[in-house]
Amino acid sequence: MIAMRRRNSLQKGIEMTDTNERAETATVAEDQPFSLECRNLEKAFSGIPVLRGVSLRLRPGTITALAGENGAGKSTMMKIASGQYRADAGEVFVRGEQLHSGSSQDATRLGVAIVPQELASLLDMTIYENIFIGRELSGPTGLRRKEMIARAKENLAVFGIDIDPTRKMSTLPVGLRQIVEIVKATNTGARVILLDEPSSAIAEREVSRLITVMRQLRDAGVALLFTTHKMEEIRALADHIVVLRDGGLVMDQAMSTVSDDDIVTAMIGRELNDLFPDLPDHGEETVLEISDLHVEGAPAPVSFTVRRGEILGLAGLVGAGRTELIEGIFGIRRTLSGDVKVTGKSIKRNSPPAAIDSNVALVPEDRKGSGGVLSMDILDNGSLPRLASFTLAGWLKQSARRKAVKAATESVSLRSRGLNQSMETLSGGNQQKVVFARWLVGDVAVLLLDEPTRGVDVGARSEIYRIITELAGKGMAVVMASSDMPEILSLSHRALVLRGGGIVGELDRAQLAESDVQDTIFRLASGLTQTQGQSNPATPDTEKETAR
Amino acid sequence: MSNEAVLKERRRRIDGKFVQHLAIRYAMVIVLIFVIAFFAYRSARFGTVDNVTTILIAAAPFALIALGQTLVILTGGIDLSVGSVIALSSMAGALTAKTFPDQIFLAVIVAVLVGLAAGSVNGFVVSKINVPPFIATLGMLTLASGLAYVVGGGAPINGLPASFGSIANTQILGLTIPVILMIVGIVGFGIMMRKTAFGMRIYAVGGNQLAAQIAGVKTGRVLFSVYAISGALAGLSGVMLASRVISGSPTLGQGYELDAIAAVVIGGASLLGGRGTVWGTALGLLLIQTLNNGLDILTVPAYWQDVIKGVLIVAAVAVDVWAAKRRP
Repeated sequence: MIAMRRRNSLQKGIEMTDTNERAETATVAEDQPFSLECRNLEKAFSGIPVLRGVSLRLRPGTITALAGENGAGKSTMMKIASGQYRADAGEVFVRGEQLHSGSSQDATRLGVAIVPQELASLLDMTIYENIFIGRELSGPTGLRRKEMIARAKENLAVFGIDIDPTRKMSTLPVGLRQIVEIVKATNTGARVILLDEPSSAIAEREVSRLITVMRQLRDAGVALLFTTHKMEEIRALADHIVVLRDGGLVMDQAMSTVSDDDIVTAMIGRELNDLFPDLPDHGEETVLEISDLHVEGAPAPVSFTVRRGEILGLAGLVGAGRTELIEGIFGIRRTLSGDVKVTGKSIKRNSPPAAIDSNVALVPEDRKGSGGVLSMDILDNGSLPRLASFTLAGWLKQSARRKAVKAATESVSLRSRGLNQSMETLSGGNQQKVVFARWLVGDVAVLLLDEPTRGVDVGARSEIYRIITELAGKGMAVVMASSDMPEILSLSHRALVLRGGGIVGELDRAQLAESDVQDTIFRLASGLTQTQGQSNPATPDTEKETAR
Repeated sequence: MSNEAVLKERRRRIDGKFVQHLAIRYAMVIVLIFVIAFFAYRSARFGTVDNVTTILIAAAPFALIALGQTLVILTGGIDLSVGSVIALSSMAGALTAKTFPDQIFLAVIVAVLVGLAAGSVNGFVVSKINVPPFIATLGMLTLASGLAYVVGGGAPINGLPASFGSIANTQILGLTIPVILMIVGIVGFGIMMRKTAFGMRIYAVGGNQLAAQIAGVKTGRVLFSVYAISGALAGLSGVMLASRVISGSPTLGQGYELDAIAAVVIGGASLLGGRGTVWGTALGLLLIQTLNNGLDILTVPAYWQDVIKGVLIVAAVAVDVWAAKRRP
């Protein structure tokens, strides 16, 4: 039933645009106008070129991946194509018609929609209000809410999503909000949809839903352009790949003609050595000891230990309580009871300053939201956590501070114009390096990492892995929460699997090296065949078969 | 490139682009210079030493609360209560002076403590109970104003000893005490914000409170402190104003908070916190006071003065916003 309706409404959309296209082809000289064509786009910010003459064409009914390291110009490109930025030079054509540069209204009129990395949803409004905002249906008696609700429900059903459109947007997970945004875009008649890192903030199962939605749109003749840091997604989705490097176009090919290595090499401009460095051996003495720590909101307390130089991975699905646990150890999230010991000494709970004094460091998940203070410069960010050691009766010891921060940023090979460069002008990977470096100006015994490479490009990612292993090699006890499976498998000595705030499994190095370990972790994390998974991490093959 | 070569390179580049660069960077200074030039051109009296002194004396009480306001706004908050706290502390100071006529210094201390108390309440409510600053200080605005009337039974406190007037009217090296306090305050706070850990933590809390917390900053303490400081400075400002007119009045300082906020914002601070400087505030303050004075001298009717001031405040910030976009 739904499938039928889906096809109908999508076809309706195609028919409509078909007539449009025909009308336009008559006026435009070219035989078949591209859905979106960018010609020689150039853009500079305060004198620094971000795009140097990039041309790009999207055909209707295709998905194009836009790849490149952070700072390569991907987001800028999308913002120009969607009229948010005005290009310094070059033109954008939408189905043969020139986009009035720097006008997002014009882009919407021409049928270009963007789903930004950080969604601009109206969280306190309902789903249908979000979908219809700006084009509300109204009659003589005011808003026709019933009709909007019904239409919203239909539109969501097209993508196989059955949720009540009168729910508040804020109650939805990010992945669903994203799909509501996409529905909104198709509803405004978008024939070109740009998605900026659509999968960066959503859970794995939401990614598969996103992929389905994107394919559906492609089959309906929409041209899609998306950015991602994940090769699997490029492989799963894209028909075509475009790679930017330092604001220039370095690859523009059909997916079928390139290998993964080609893409990575194009992105970073050199061969990528092994992404993960070798893990150094860890020591035996316990550095971090968590006993019966009860994080507020978790169903039960947890206990575990981390040894000197050991990297402990925390795996689990979104909402498994990894972030909460790490924040609880650091004291930024309230804990109700239990004990955190660092090298044998208990530290005061619920007090980040106490944790810092005991040489516990936290590199949080949300770099922009909680990692660094973007309005301050590198020097200030770098010295903030250890400020007390750079002051004499409250006065900053400038030269000592500068020296220490300089050494720390050099140790993480930060690329910047100097210590006085503002944090917000750094690329994501370099911001993350500053967030690392600021702890390294002093001693660190326990390093807590939450998604250390989220939104970080491939090149910087391998550097961050190198930094993590080096720090572990120096004797730090590392706790690393990660949704990136290769990170857990290749970068941890041991891994804990969390579900619903509790620890449901533990895998040692040997188990992590087993071929079906991903499956094991997934089963533990999702609670499938609980007993099987727990008693025997190496899940029998028969189980796997039936599950699939 | 060696340092010398860089310098030479820089010297060579004094062309159109460089001038534009300079104009963008010092937009507000240029606006101020234009305003001063205009008044100096229209009136011979404007540029006299006497008149400059007048401007400074008028600026002093505003300067003290604008400094406190700068710290509060840098944390992303706002302090609407300073005008009323001025009234309350002027009453408290006047009452003390009347009760202990030979203990003038005590009057100053009581006034500052009253201001500090009011500010501390603001700080507590904001940092511990998490009431939004706008609401917390709006409450204090009403509360302090009410208390100011209560203290004097609804009337001003007059008939104070002449020595009470000496607080604000004594001159040292040709400058009155409030003017000296203003200069010391601006320099002191300017240095504090740049050179001390406390200053840096204020910027961090305003820039990103959660990040500051993760970096071990005791954000509650910082928030509490800025409101307490703002209150204490309003107390000091109140007793200076009372001393200047040798009377405590429950209407003293009414609406001053708006001029203080305007000065901070004109000075380039962001109401979202994290951005702004004490020097900027001093500049904004000077602009407002110069306007007040210049328009008086040109005998522009008071109502029109407000109209002109309103337009100029928005225009000044508009210029700054325009320039900020082009600032590297």
